[in-house]
Amino acid sequence: MKVPSTRVYPDVSDILARKEEGRRELAARSFGEKIDILEAMRARVEPIRKAREERRKKRPPPAGT
Amino acid sequence: MTGMKDTFRVINRMVENGVIGSYAITGAVAALNYIEPALTDDLDVLISVDAPSLQSTTGLVTLEPVFRYLRQAGYTEFRKEGVVIEGWAVQFLPVANALDSEGLDQAVDVEIEAGGGESPIKVRTLRAEHVVANALQVDRPKDRIRISQFLTEDAVDLVALRDVLDRHAMLAAWVTFCARTGIANPYDAKFPT
Repeated sequence: MKVPSTRVYPDVSDILARKEEGRRELAARSFGEKIDILEAMRARVEPIRKAREERRKKRPPPAGT
Repeated sequence: MTGMKDTFRVINRMVENGVIGSYAITGAVAALNYIEPALTDDLDVLISVDAPSLQSTTGLVTLEPVFRYLRQAGYTEFRKEGVVIEGWAVQFLPVANALDSEGLDQAVDVEIEAGGGESPIKVRTLRAEHVVANALQVDRPKDRIRISQFLTEDAVDLVALRDVLDRHAMLAAWVTFCARTGIANPYDAKFPT
């Protein structure tokens, strides 16, 4: 469906600027702090990783193997 | 005790015990020292092939002494081609070319807070320009994203990077990278031909 050309979109430049600022703030942290962040990120995705592995185990082998 | 800081402690002990010579963290974890954290599952460690323990009688490099030491220390699990040390899959990569060799020689020591009142842990990691050059050489989609992060976050010294790319005949690969990713080649303005 074609979007009407009169449609007005919100200005999100301030949101993007804040995101950019957040990225720079993260990048400026010490190596040790970033390792702690990485460990926390990894812990958060661990249940997803485990579920994916379980799904793979249950999947039947490809035909012909 | 599990966690990357403990993994670093084990690697440093391997150096102290002469199992490996010099080392440098490379890949995503090395990039972490310079740019915004991104999720990774493994820890890549570039190691010198000069350590006597790694030389076999035929002159070929062998990592068996590394794995034997780790087995004896109780690290027997393997995940994604890496041996799991304190919860992290660690891949030991022997120096394989001149870029690796230079990166290892020029690697920097970083001290990270250990927490709990313990003394800081010293970690040796690649310089930013070598992380970028290495990513350019490996050239997977995630490596291209990493390079663009270094550029957008001003996390690499462009003069130092150009020297590395020039020394290792990678300037053509750099131009290709810029064209493929649509990133303006920073050297077009800084080093006009």
